[in-house]
Amino acid sequence: MGFNGIDGDVNVPGMIPWEVIVAYFVVAIAVAVVIGKKTGGLKAFTTLDLVYIGIGAAFSVVWEFYIGGFLNKFVPSGLTLFINFGFLGRLLIVFIVAALVRKFGTGMITLAAFDILGDLFHYGFGGEPIFLIYEALTYGLFIDIAIALLGGKFLGVGSKTQTVALVLGIVEGAIIGLLWAIPDPIFYDAFFRPFLYGAVVSWAKVIFTIEAFIPGDVIMGAIAGIIANRIQRAVAV
Amino acid sequence: MMSVINITYENGTSITLINNIPHIPYFASTVISWVVFLFGVAVPLAILLLAIGIRGFIEITRFEKHNTFYYNINAVTKIILLIGVTIAAAITVWWFSAILTIILLASYLTLKNGFRKLILVLYLTLTFIIGITQGFAPYTPYSVLQLAYHTNTFNAIWEWPSYFSFMGYQPYLTLQGLEYGVQISFRFIPATLSGLILILTTTPSEILGTFSRIKVPLAFVFSLIIALRTIPRIFEVFDTVVKLQFMRGLGSTKPKVFYPMYFLYAGIYAVVPTMVYLFRGAKNTAIAADTRAFRAKETITYLNDLTFTKEDIVIVTLVMAILIISGILIALGLGRGIPYTGY
Repeated sequence: MGFNGIDGDVNVPGMIPWEVIVAYFVVAIAVAVVIGKKTGGLKAFTTLDLVYIGIGAAFSVVWEFYIGGFLNKFVPSGLTLFINFGFLGRLLIVFIVAALVRKFGTGMITLAAFDILGDLFHYGFGGEPIFLIYEALTYGLFIDIAIALLGGKFLGVGSKTQTVALVLGIVEGAIIGLLWAIPDPIFYDAFFRPFLYGAVVSWAKVIFTIEAFIPGDVIMGAIAGIIANRIQRAVAV
Repeated sequence: MMSVINITYENGTSITLINNIPHIPYFASTVISWVVFLFGVAVPLAILLLAIGIRGFIEITRFEKHNTFYYNINAVTKIILLIGVTIAAAITVWWFSAILTIILLASYLTLKNGFRKLILVLYLTLTFIIGITQGFAPYTPYSVLQLAYHTNTFNAIWEWPSYFSFMGYQPYLTLQGLEYGVQISFRFIPATLSGLILILTTTPSEILGTFSRIKVPLAFVFSLIIALRTIPRIFEVFDTVVKLQFMRGLGSTKPKVFYPMYFLYAGIYAVVPTMVYLFRGAKNTAIAADTRAFRAKETITYLNDLTFTKEDIVIVTLVMAILIISGILIALGLGRGIPYTGY
């Protein structure tokens, strides 16, 4: 039965060996700690940054549980693999927060806050702390690494001309969108789902899901890059 | 007339479907299948969402001051209730979760404007049941249903066009498939209902106190509290922006019957203004917090002590009883009967 709804199954045929997953998360935590220490950790965040993160997490909850989740029901179910309103909306909102704050850790804190709020409003802490660690150190960390690499110019913010901002927003957004297509099939379907619930792993489905996610996530990443840039300018005046 | 459909798989196993499918001409049946596929769930969901309304969402996501049972319990106890109910719903047979759902729903009557809140969460519960059932019923393989119901015989109630299998549909919709979907929905509903009780009856500062007492970093807890306070505000601002568009004459010359479409249109156009408005308002919140010396010190002080009253003891005892009953049910073979593998 395991702990808190976690079966702890590591012998499901086809699942990624737990050593690989542990290695990933050890490296991810190390990256988060090392870069985080350099950039000042939580102390680097001003009160305003924390408010932005809170509002972003609130939007994610409203979108995922009250709007996007239901919009998915209006799309033929097979197509939600390609156009998942709930997920793509969250991508846009996290991009907006990241563009407003542009500090290492924004992605991880936003995803962690969203995760806890999701538990309060819908899921009820079952399977935790797995989801908290998983989402913060995959989706959140990808955004944060992009912020660390690009500095304050994330998604073309602060570019001299609008054209440059547009191009950078599209390109950077699309790349992060591509990265966001990976965790769910690889980490969740091929490891955490069997680990938590003993689910069967089908690599044909994992590969298909990645292929199905990529176009939607890349396109939405590019669009979200532009929107996040625009909203950042509208808010930061 | 009732007939029987036999399906034999390559590995030699076979299942029997008792044919309860109504006799409808092929063309009509195809049209109905497509309508069900495209709009079948959307329509009841849309009706329910309209019935809740934007104001309704504000009411079921916002703390309101009151002085009944739940309001006198501290946040820690309510989190214990949430976790206990979630665990019980996840590990026991579906009908135990259904009983918990009914009890939790009934307890909404004790809240401020209890009857109205009960109606609203009832709508919300129905949307979850319909949505989740639709997500599982047509797709669940018969082999999974065999494991769930320990039978090889199912009641077919609808036949999908054969090409629906490309979208992951099983050839026939079965009564057992529908039951399976409904049962899975009860894994989430008790958790959602007890989570909303926490949110509706606890002030954000109480939650802040609880999290910071268990040493969650203050910066992170502050973001969480901002989020909790912002969720009802989002619906409020969204409602205002939608209404402003109607005040400016959106769809005013068109027949009333088109109102839902204009509402949807106004809703889509309200997303960005709502975001920009709330994000711009963030500065005021930040200034307000800073002028009260927020984060000037490493730790915070508490205005109210964490006290355990009689009501808290009642809830903790109830949670323990729920977990003991869950243990007994599992021992009786009434544990997680369906091979549910994550959502």
